[in-house]
Amino acid sequence: MALFEPTILLQLLIAGLLTGSLYALLASGLNLVFGVMRVINIAHAEFMLLGAYLAWVLYVYANVHPLLSLFIVVPAVFGIGWVLERTLIEHVVGRPLLTSLLATYGVSIIMVNAGLLVFASDFKSVPQLQGAIVIGELAISKPRLVAGVLAVILTFAVYLFLEITRLGKAVRAVAEHPHVATICGIDVQRIRMLTFALAVAMAAAAGVMLTMIYSFSPDTGADFIQKCFAIIIIGGMGNFLGAFYGGVLLGVVEAFVGGFGTTQWAEAVAYLLLVLVLLIRPTGLKGMADVK
Amino acid sequence: MLSKHASLASAAVLVVILAVAPAVLGEYYLSFLTQLLMMVALAQAWNTISGMTGYVSFGHATFFGMGSYAAALLLPLGVPWWACLIAGALVALALSVPLGFLTLRLRGPYFAIAMLGLNEVARVFVTLWVDLTGGGSGITLSPELLPSLTTSYYTMFLIAVAATVIVAAIYHSRFGLELRAIREDEGAAEMVGVNTTRDKLAAFVLSALIPGAAGAVLVMYTSYIDPAAAFAPAVNIQMIVMVMFGGSGTVWGPVLGAGLVMGLREVFWAEFPAAHLMLLGVLLLSVVLFLPGGLMALFTRRKLVRPEVAAGPQERPDG
Repeated sequence: MALFEPTILLQLLIAGLLTGSLYALLASGLNLVFGVMRVINIAHAEFMLLGAYLAWVLYVYANVHPLLSLFIVVPAVFGIGWVLERTLIEHVVGRPLLTSLLATYGVSIIMVNAGLLVFASDFKSVPQLQGAIVIGELAISKPRLVAGVLAVILTFAVYLFLEITRLGKAVRAVAEHPHVATICGIDVQRIRMLTFALAVAMAAAAGVMLTMIYSFSPDTGADFIQKCFAIIIIGGMGNFLGAFYGGVLLGVVEAFVGGFGTTQWAEAVAYLLLVLVLLIRPTGLKGMADVK
Repeated sequence: MLSKHASLASAAVLVVILAVAPAVLGEYYLSFLTQLLMMVALAQAWNTISGMTGYVSFGHATFFGMGSYAAALLLPLGVPWWACLIAGALVALALSVPLGFLTLRLRGPYFAIAMLGLNEVARVFVTLWVDLTGGGSGITLSPELLPSLTTSYYTMFLIAVAATVIVAAIYHSRFGLELRAIREDEGAAEMVGVNTTRDKLAAFVLSALIPGAAGAVLVMYTSYIDPAAAFAPAVNIQMIVMVMFGGSGTVWGPVLGAGLVMGLREVFWAEFPAAHLMLLGVLLLSVVLFLPGGLMALFTRRKLVRPEVAAGPQERPDG
């Protein structure tokens, strides 16, 4: 097989860009939480799976199409995130980063094993929007196309919210300087609740779209959180758009490694990239030097 | 801390009880005690790097799995079991030196993130290297190669005691003081002349040797190994929860944590593995939020430092 044919390269590039957009949606939520709250949420990918399982339940028991269930699942997970921040995550804000790592590791263990209890360890998927669109010699998988485009739209909607609206500016103010934000009359705790809820809702949206592309089990989160960490370290910790670029880059690199090598090696790419970046720049490519 | 005499006396009693245990106990309880001692050793190993220095390792099961594989590959070649044990520790050493050299330059959270994926990468690597490891179907050892359960028990016992003695020796030494200085404020420790990189590397390598040896003993006792069992996330989870629950950075905390968690598992949770791990998650979360010093903190009579100092630098963003 001639791997270097332009069509195949283009095919891999498109596949990588689409998967990468989904990674970007997931990772920018994680980065938002880190930027605003200085909390590293190891359980972030578990919220993606929460979204995926909710969509699966809605599909199996009520025959709701995943694209429709987005409108139910995303607000529901937003609510869960809101409550969880208030009751739990708020207590680790301002503590050393390792505290938030260990606490959210606990949350992740609870969510994964609750998932195993309820859904068992077999793989689930939602077979909707199957097939591919063929343009000339290119074949683009329909669910990937829809998921990729939607992921880009959602990520930029959140970006615009942060850039343009008054509330979004308040979020950025808290990320910049919580103390001064308080003096300016911003309810910092409410902003943190909003930020966390928004971030896990983004993860849930990614999870809903994931159901159409991959089969997933309660353990699937481990691969994704690894990718997220690689992405936010490549893109810069706390930098919202950086996570977007990092996500797209990882998607493309994975697609090419998967295309020229094996898919199993593609799984290890995220880790190797992560370690490589950490070795070149111990604080990440655009990371903040003052993070302890 | 417990007083020095109480500490030594309870240690002596514990060692005597465990040394005569095989004469009294049946196979089932001896097997349970072997696993308990293995968890004590693993907990102490994690304590050596993460408890002492605050560098949280989410990937220590990797050394354990590599020790298991080293023994499983060498035993069928006719290598005696005790040499396999040393080989297990040496393999862990061979991985930990370059790995520690690279990752310990990173500050705490970045080190934790780098270690998080290690176990998964090791599992993929071992699964893919089918010619050597038999891939996903694993390696089964024939029973005549294996030492008896009593031998496995005593070996695990020695490893657990050695691990605890190492932690105690470090704790009471200048080296231990330097490690704690790194945990509280690495920059300041560096400033007063602590060779932080050398210290962290030494603690990391020590903490890798023990799981390597314990993994080798485990495979002789179970007679079977596959990638999913060798690099199980549950091993990581148990190690971390036991230390945090008992009291991280202390000598007796990991022993206490391992004993209590294994005891609870035996009494309540053995039938429900997922519920068991879920409860460990709840335990970890509760300890981190409400009792950061673990159970040992409850025994602390004299507080040498104010709690807010012991809890480390506060960086509350809203000032």
